[in-house]
Amino acid sequence: MSLRELILAGFLVAFGGVIVALSLEIAPGVQTDPLGPRFFPLALGSGIALCGLLLAAAEFLFRGEPSLAGLLSDASPEAEEDAGPFSPARFLGAIGATALYVAAFDPLGYLLATPPYIAAILLIHGGARSRTLLITPFVVTIALYVTFRFGLLIPVPDGPLEAILPW
Amino acid sequence: MGFLEHLFAGFVSALSGYGILIMAAGVAWGIVGGAIPGISGAVAMALALPFTFALDAPTALILLAGVWAGANYGGSIPAILMRMPGTPASAACLLDGYVLAQQGRAAKALGVSLICGTIGALISIVVLIALVLPLGEIVVHFGSPEVFALALFGLTLIAGLSGPSFLKGIASGFFGLLLTTVGLDTLTGSMRFTFGSAELLTGIDTISVMIGLFAVSEMFYLIAHPARPAGEVVAGRAGTAFPNFRELREVGRATFVGTVVGLVVGIMPGAGATASSFVAYNEARRWSKRPELFGKGSMEGVAAPETANNAVQGGDLVPTLALGIPGSNSAAIMLAALLLHGIMPGPFLLTKHPDLVFTLFAGLILVNLLMIPVGIVILRLCLLALKLDPPVLIASVLALIVIGTYAGDLFVLNPVQALIFGVIGYGMRIWGFSAAAAVLGIVLGVLAESELRRSLIISHGEWSIFVTRPVCAVLLFLTLGVLLYPAFMTALRRWRARRVAAAPAAKS
Repeated sequence: MSLRELILAGFLVAFGGVIVALSLEIAPGVQTDPLGPRFFPLALGSGIALCGLLLAAAEFLFRGEPSLAGLLSDASPEAEEDAGPFSPARFLGAIGATALYVAAFDPLGYLLATPPYIAAILLIHGGARSRTLLITPFVVTIALYVTFRFGLLIPVPDGPLEAILPW
Repeated sequence: MGFLEHLFAGFVSALSGYGILIMAAGVAWGIVGGAIPGISGAVAMALALPFTFALDAPTALILLAGVWAGANYGGSIPAILMRMPGTPASAACLLDGYVLAQQGRAAKALGVSLICGTIGALISIVVLIALVLPLGEIVVHFGSPEVFALALFGLTLIAGLSGPSFLKGIASGFFGLLLTTVGLDTLTGSMRFTFGSAELLTGIDTISVMIGLFAVSEMFYLIAHPARPAGEVVAGRAGTAFPNFRELREVGRATFVGTVVGLVVGIMPGAGATASSFVAYNEARRWSKRPELFGKGSMEGVAAPETANNAVQGGDLVPTLALGIPGSNSAAIMLAALLLHGIMPGPFLLTKHPDLVFTLFAGLILVNLLMIPVGIVILRLCLLALKLDPPVLIASVLALIVIGTYAGDLFVLNPVQALIFGVIGYGMRIWGFSAAAAVLGIVLGVLAESELRRSLIISHGEWSIFVTRPVCAVLLFLTLGVLLYPAFMTALRRWRARRVAAAPAAKS
């Protein structure tokens, strides 16, 4: 019996339950529509919760039978061949940097927000040479800007630079 | 208009404007993307989606078809030269490809991969055209109940096959379906899961979700699990050498086996290119006149998996275009591109938008023909791309994703969604859920719900409508079969295991 699988099963049951509860708050719709807008999310929430229950049941019923693994639960939970060890700091750092970048995208503008973001990702990942760290953020930023602004004619936000830029 | 006129019009449409340039760009990006480990065919296609915003629907599909075809070949480049498959599907190719490279025959192996792959892809497209048109004639008679049953069947089939766990696959599919319910209900105008946010009234942005689940999650994975350093290129001066007629004859049998396997596996939704290339490798060895050479540098060992890998494209598109059921992640992205352009994917695509489908047929033929010249020219660029520092690649891709998703509606909520679903996709990956099944749910969700509700409006709430119509009943029966199959197999294995355990005891 895997604790991880049981926790995941519990999460599915809880998530399905929340969806069912939220679905019941949806306005019932019109009389000519027998199912109404509530039915589909209600059914899906129940389905997700049922999957969680079955997953938990499978863990209890088929524990210690590796030949059955893979049908109802993972054959090898740790399976990710060729992958390095998990680094929580890098993972959270990448999410944090991306969240900050997205938040700064509109107010700061693309040209000001992107180079620090690229530099941050290079630093978080590690292994980049100092020359790469200095050049890449600007080269990538300008290449993407030119492609979207002048190639695809998409008005990329310029932020405070809008007053200075000639276009 | 007859078939040939439609096809001719498709070629004209595909070649109009910057058609050839867009196809070549798609193929080139596909080859480079496929060659870089971590950017699989589906990720390369997802990253190309923002570039389709400025294109019309047929051109967008052709661009994506080019990326798909290019990635199929691109994966074999590092597999042959560096013993490092660019895509999972090219893993079978390295078994002999790398040995050939060590023997100084890398250029010939790349040539065989390119030519045989193109042959396989072209044959599969001919079969695709031959199958889709009659299937389209049948599907045109489907009503709402049949379309709902078809959507349900497609969903369970992929959810069951695409993930490591059947139940988690089904749960992932449900999650994808659930995402399509967010926003204003189109039939009644009721608000669902909007939590008072005006931004959510139009629902979740499909493209951002898809890019998040496929591409952002992959980049986060590469950051959180730094991989081993890449191998060295075996061939100092890598190039492409085409096989001559005698060499092509020698790999003819393997090419035929690869084409058949790729087509059959491709038509089965969810089976995928990786399975097809390994099956083709094994089958080619079984049918080969010189099976002892496999694993020791056999050209047939390169030809069979690469042909299968490329032939999957045509097979995948059979259920995608005829029934609206995407056969793979890549096919699901093609359907998402249709949604992006306001076209509802589904079984009536061929009848409602024949011009689009025929342009895609023509485009598929053209992009696969373009593979040969582009494949030769782009090889050096691929080797340069393979030398890129992984952090440079990851940072560039993440920056592209943010600006790309923003470009869709000029809406900063789109990159936010891509980020959120990137984290969800990462979690799904490490906990064994299937992002592919979730994406399938997103693609089929609106169709499944609207047709279910329409069916019950037609029948005045009578559920018997689903069992009194023969086609619908058969499809629902098949769906039930797919759902119960794992439980049945589990019970069977337990029974066999008990019998085996009981046999020695009975003997003693």
